[in-house]
Amino acid sequence: MFVFGAATILHADLDAFYASVEQRDDPRLRGRPVIVGAGVVLAASYEAKAFGVRTAMGGRQARRLCPGAVVVPPRMSAYAEASKAAFRVFDDSSPLVEGLSIDEAFLDVRGLERISGTPTEIAARLRREVRERVGLPITVGVARTKFLAKVASGVAKPDGLLVVPPDRELSFLHPLPVEHLWGVGPATARKLHERRISTVGEVARLPETVLVTILGRAAGRHLYALAHNRDPRPVVVGRRRRSIGSQCALGRSRKTPEAVDAVLVSLVDRVTRRMRIAGRVGRTVVLRLRFGDFSRVTRSHTLPLPTAHTQTVLLTAQWLLSCAKPEIERRGLTLVGVAVANLDDDSSLQLVLPLDRFSGTALDVALDEVRRRFGSTAVTRAVLLGREQGFTVPLLPD
Amino acid sequence: MIEANTVIGTGMKIVTQRDELAQKLGVVARAVSTRASVQILSGVLLRAESGRVHLAATDMELSLRSSLEAQVEGEGSVVVPGRLLVDLVRLLPDNEVTIEHRAEESVVHVTSGSSTSTLHTYAADDFPRLPDLDAVGTFTVDRESLLDTVSRVARSASRDESRPVLTGILVRFEAGKLVMAATDSYRLSVKETELSGAVPELEAIIPARALGELGRIAQTGESVELGVHENQVVFAADDVWLTTRRIDGQFPNYKQLLPEAFEHDVTLPRNELLDVVRRVGVMVQRTSPIQLRFAEGELTVFARTQDVGEAKESLPVQFSGDPLEIGFNAEFLREGIETMAEDEIRLRLISPLRPAVIEGGADDPTYLIMPIRLPG
Repeated sequence: MFVFGAATILHADLDAFYASVEQRDDPRLRGRPVIVGAGVVLAASYEAKAFGVRTAMGGRQARRLCPGAVVVPPRMSAYAEASKAAFRVFDDSSPLVEGLSIDEAFLDVRGLERISGTPTEIAARLRREVRERVGLPITVGVARTKFLAKVASGVAKPDGLLVVPPDRELSFLHPLPVEHLWGVGPATARKLHERRISTVGEVARLPETVLVTILGRAAGRHLYALAHNRDPRPVVVGRRRRSIGSQCALGRSRKTPEAVDAVLVSLVDRVTRRMRIAGRVGRTVVLRLRFGDFSRVTRSHTLPLPTAHTQTVLLTAQWLLSCAKPEIERRGLTLVGVAVANLDDDSSLQLVLPLDRFSGTALDVALDEVRRRFGSTAVTRAVLLGREQGFTVPLLPD
Repeated sequence: MIEANTVIGTGMKIVTQRDELAQKLGVVARAVSTRASVQILSGVLLRAESGRVHLAATDMELSLRSSLEAQVEGEGSVVVPGRLLVDLVRLLPDNEVTIEHRAEESVVHVTSGSSTSTLHTYAADDFPRLPDLDAVGTFTVDRESLLDTVSRVARSASRDESRPVLTGILVRFEAGKLVMAATDSYRLSVKETELSGAVPELEAIIPARALGELGRIAQTGESVELGVHENQVVFAADDVWLTTRRIDGQFPNYKQLLPEAFEHDVTLPRNELLDVVRRVGVMVQRTSPIQLRFAEGELTVFARTQDVGEAKESLPVQFSGDPLEIGFNAEFLREGIETMAEDEIRLRLISPLRPAVIEGGADDPTYLIMPIRLPG
């Protein structure tokens, strides 16, 4: 098969990110199984993964599988710091960096041969620099498309480097288990296994119509394209997020409305502050709820004008929560999340009147400045005093 | 169910005048709910009793009621789909209309001249109970004073249902005057109006939408009757009763939002400024601002939207000191100017990130507007 282009796309993915940061910062944890998060497992070191511990697993199950594991609480600010440092290395490696999440990014190194060397050389240097400058292990996949680069890094983990040359793409891809295809989670994998389809090559031998029948239109077409190694998406520099959010698990016991409101307040504080730091405003406030039976609903409301104003977002979120009150009372609440979507730049921001005396745009500015200088815990709301801020750290795929 | 219908609806039959019925139905049907979820609210309640037919409609926030003379051949009540009845009655061929309820079939027959129509009905006892008007003590307010005050502040009220208090207008009657205030958190309008007659002291947050309806209903007459009953506010004007729910909650303390001192106080010709703002405002799309650039003796109004275009226009003004550049939402600025009646208006400014105030004459509202932070 004739293939256009060369393998210039790098997928850089920090290994067991949260757990690696913990092992980096505490030498006693090195070489030992480490679990981040006492309730749900937020991340597991490779030593813990060897025992079968997985992200999002219940803490009790994880400790049963791996009784020797050291369980540590998450330190989100340390992870954010480490992520920034890693992204500085990415940015030094290529002008084309597309961040995917806190711990992974695509880089396109096309045309850098004379300046920085071949893609393979750049990838090796990037791994060395992340190790030296950030102190963390990272795996890099190199290929002609984003999809293949990501599959390659998945195969090469941990602490590895894998290059898929353009003429060996299908021979690399087809023997892999279907789980390596982007978008194949446990449910899709089960559907495929039920039909005795277990490798990418087996998927590729099916007609598109059959895949659509098994998986539905969107997923079927998506998988068909991937199995045939079609992925025309370019690396988009700094592709920006579509929403900014935060969520918090509440545990299984009943929470008073005041306690839920306090959680909501702290979530909105965080989200709007992050928006202001990022220079974004948004119009749609999204409230995510998970009930006692772990079913989830989303409620959203679109405001007349975009905002990053704490009080405006908070009032909207509280209103959405009050609309969901009957359902919460009936079914119990185990998680609450707030996100602001429909994002835009804050280059022309409509300022807000300080309607309830301490709520104008000026207050946000003052508090942001205090937190910038003295840290995010320097100022807090009275209703949040003495409450543990159990924010749910985003779960990163294993 | 059929039994209940038979008992309640038995034999309502009226003969009445088409034009008056069409006009009254047209008014009342404005309260018909547009939400499909509760079917009965899409209907108009007809109740025939001692020589009159009473009409009522509600969407649970607002209700409208009226009545007209009719030859009542059978008393009773029934709920008829509102829009359908309005459209039908308006087009009937004869001056006289007969409406007859056939409870056993759950229909009404509407006949006029050669035209006969049959409409399916809803049960009258499913219709929400509306406040008893006889139980409400009312007082009289000068119609023009009331409606003018509403129209000068209403545009600042919020249309965002997530901020219920802000969708209302604060209405306060106090010694010799009426005060109204409205804000959507980006701007605030306050107007005080002198009242000639005595009124009781009263404060309520009333849905802006209901007050807008009142303006449409009360087109003639010297006065409007007003009363508050529990959580309802009642208005009577021109044979029509409007009831609306009072909004619970605390209205923002608007007095402390109004700045006490300003850096600049610029007098501008209202109509000229309005024309300029409208013209330049054409170039404003989405959330891009309209900019006012003040320099020695001159105001330049400027707008630019990326990939659309830009416009600018200058006016001579009395301005001195360091140049000042401030951005506003074009619609908010235009509406603020529009609510002023005086030929000369004052634009009072502090700095580009602080609230500005537009004022006119003694009968004009005070319009407080928050700027848009300009890039750079």
